[in-house]
Amino acid sequence: MTLYLGVALVAAAVVLFILQPVVKGIHASLEREDDELTETEARKRVALLALRDVEYDFLAGKLDEHDYRSLKADLTAEALAALEADEESKKGAGGGRVGDDLEAEIARMRTELRAGGACPSCAFVNEDGSRFCSACGHTLAEAVTP
Amino acid sequence: MTILGEFALWISLPVAAWGMALGYAGGRTQRGDLVLSAERSIYAVFGLLILASAGVSAAFLGDKFEYWYVASYSNRDLELFYKVTGLWAGQRGSLLFWALLLGLFSSICVFTNRNKNRSFMPYVAGVLQTILLFFIVVLLFADVNPFERLDFVPADGQGLNPQLQNYWMTIHPPTLYLGFTAFTIPFAFAVAALLNGRLDARWIQLTRRWILTSWLFLSVGIVFGMRWAYEELGWGGYWFWDPVENASLLPWLTATAFLHSIQIQENRGMLKVWNMSLVLMTFLLTIFATFLTRSGLIESVHSFAQELKIAYIFLSFMGSVLAACVVLILYRLPQLRSENQIESFFSRESAFLFNNLLLLGAAFSVMWGTMFPLISEGFTGQQISVGPPFFEKVNFPIGLFLLTLVGVGPVIAWRRATKRNLQKNFSVPVIVGAVTAVSLWMLGARHELALVTWSISAFVLTVIVTEFWKGTKARARIEGEGYVLAFFHLITRNRRRWGGYMVHVGFVMMCIAFAGAAYNTDNRFNVQPGDVVEVASPFGHTYSLTYEGLSMSIGRGQRNLLWQAIATVSVSQDGGPAQILTTEKRQYTNRDTQPMTEVGIRSIVREDLYLILSALNDTNGALRADPGAQGIDLQVLIKPLVGWIWFGCLMLAIGTIVALWPSVDRTRAATRVATAGEPALAGAD
Repeated sequence: MTLYLGVALVAAAVVLFILQPVVKGIHASLEREDDELTETEARKRVALLALRDVEYDFLAGKLDEHDYRSLKADLTAEALAALEADEESKKGAGGGRVGDDLEAEIARMRTELRAGGACPSCAFVNEDGSRFCSACGHTLAEAVTP
Repeated sequence: MTILGEFALWISLPVAAWGMALGYAGGRTQRGDLVLSAERSIYAVFGLLILASAGVSAAFLGDKFEYWYVASYSNRDLELFYKVTGLWAGQRGSLLFWALLLGLFSSICVFTNRNKNRSFMPYVAGVLQTILLFFIVVLLFADVNPFERLDFVPADGQGLNPQLQNYWMTIHPPTLYLGFTAFTIPFAFAVAALLNGRLDARWIQLTRRWILTSWLFLSVGIVFGMRWAYEELGWGGYWFWDPVENASLLPWLTATAFLHSIQIQENRGMLKVWNMSLVLMTFLLTIFATFLTRSGLIESVHSFAQELKIAYIFLSFMGSVLAACVVLILYRLPQLRSENQIESFFSRESAFLFNNLLLLGAAFSVMWGTMFPLISEGFTGQQISVGPPFFEKVNFPIGLFLLTLVGVGPVIAWRRATKRNLQKNFSVPVIVGAVTAVSLWMLGARHELALVTWSISAFVLTVIVTEFWKGTKARARIEGEGYVLAFFHLITRNRRRWGGYMVHVGFVMMCIAFAGAAYNTDNRFNVQPGDVVEVASPFGHTYSLTYEGLSMSIGRGQRNLLWQAIATVSVSQDGGPAQILTTEKRQYTNRDTQPMTEVGIRSIVREDLYLILSALNDTNGALRADPGAQGIDLQVLIKPLVGWIWFGCLMLAIGTIVALWPSVDRTRAATRVATAGEPALAGAD
């Protein structure tokens, strides 16, 4: 008797638990969350990470000057394209969802990627995204990302 | 409790079916209430499976021999420990345990994603419930219900196979099952991506940790199995290309290929269809492994049963999953186009691609060799096994190429490597490899395959150590940190890369150990108490072994032991201090088995000394404690470098955990982007 009571209780609890959302109309969110990267954002991130890797390989002495420059030129062009595509898609979606600050930030970064940033120590012009100066190895974090 | 468990299993059937239907329907109609109900049904199924498993465990602990499963795998004298682990001692319990673990992982997955990745979750819930439902159906309808009752209540059970009474055997299956079941989550996300159309690398990024977790458990589980074979089977080997060993190796091979090829998709937007196929293949192979172990279709030391019904059910499920996924991939084919192309033969992309081809080649050959008995039966009516020589002939060269790629991959440039890049990075490692080969040759090593393996290993290790050294040096120089701190920061700033290298080091260590098997020695002696025998190690030293004598103990059924013969041998290396080793024969009461052997192992870093009590000269005399009946056949094996397998596995596990560990930088970067709207570049530093 106790056994069947136990079984009935378990079954009833399970049924209540899984039917409640449907009966009472409790909805799980199906919305995209704010911190979820969009497709273009993801691509932008990959492009920038690839730039970082090239920097690393060069600094660690795995790439020589010539290979480094040619790879970096390619990757910079790609990063630029990814940034622009991302900006484009945000415009299409009706304005930046993270706010105008980021819009401005990206626009600024784009110009800097084109123009390059000068190293405070030796004045060598580096593309933005460089963590370190390609000529003297000085840290660029503050110099190009104010 | 047991009956409640049985009912719980029955209740889980409609719940899983409900969850499956609502998951897909909720995804299709975008109705949040249906999705919430589907997600809750996963928790519910998990809870019910806990009750069912508790029911089986209660039957074991309560010696309820009216249940077929308990009567077949336990008896009154079985140690408590093995009653607790009885849940996965046999086929029926294992299937329930599989479902339980899948329920656990599914619940973790649903819980951790309750507020994120919502576009995936309806379908993820649907897929997970489909697979849970499949296992519940198998348990209930394929004649493998662990709650099946006998018509009578036996006085005692048949007991557990003595070979399974070993602690490695109690942790090896669960570890493998954790690996198998964890891989269901990436598979579910892949199918969800095919269904919801988000076919970029997102599903891969979301499941990277799951993939690594699964891979970690698979790797460690396989090595645990090797360790069990080494300690318990009593013939000194750790891998026999047994069908079930192979079955666990297959998903490992494809999962390893997948781990590498997703990096190309993430970095270069290529190989999308390939990755979908690999995730599907790996998932099917985890099911296949379960199927092969549990169907008893191919003779194996592990096979539990010889039932055809379950084989058909498994095969039709695998066939349906395969068909459904192929249709989905074809349907999405236009969106799975590659964004880039491989630019050069000499590039990291092509190294990854070769790695994939080799791993798949290995998987195919292992599959072919494993299934050959069945194929041959189909054509000739006889099961013909191909045996270890076939597997070794095919897989040794593949293994060597893979090992070489481990060295090439990290330093070859993405896109296209120039001659200068290759020269700059490979000169020193190649020289080190060559010097290693020549030195070993001069030291007397003559086995070609072993020499080649060790030489390539030296090359690879040089590449990896140089990577760590260059990275640390660059960081120390630029950030002005000490070398220790720079090394630590180097790893924590890019755990994925450096964790991966550590895994590679573990793999190399294991390869070095496998090659050591070329120098195994096998010596057999018939000894009387007091006899001293000498055995030479390939490393040049000599062991002298003194056989001290035999001690017999007659069990009165405790721990199911009828009798136990323990041979004591004292061992000294080059006349050094003596150390005692024992090796045993045990006769168990409850099975018509041959006496079991317990081996004696003395491990040093270089090699293992492995003692086997092969036979007693006069068992009956020894049982009567006749002083003249103490002679034994003693087998003395020397197994160079075997310990490196276990060290290598440890290294591999540490590396995987490093790669798995949530990166502090990335978490901080994510919060920064979310809160302050800071530049997206945060992710790039």
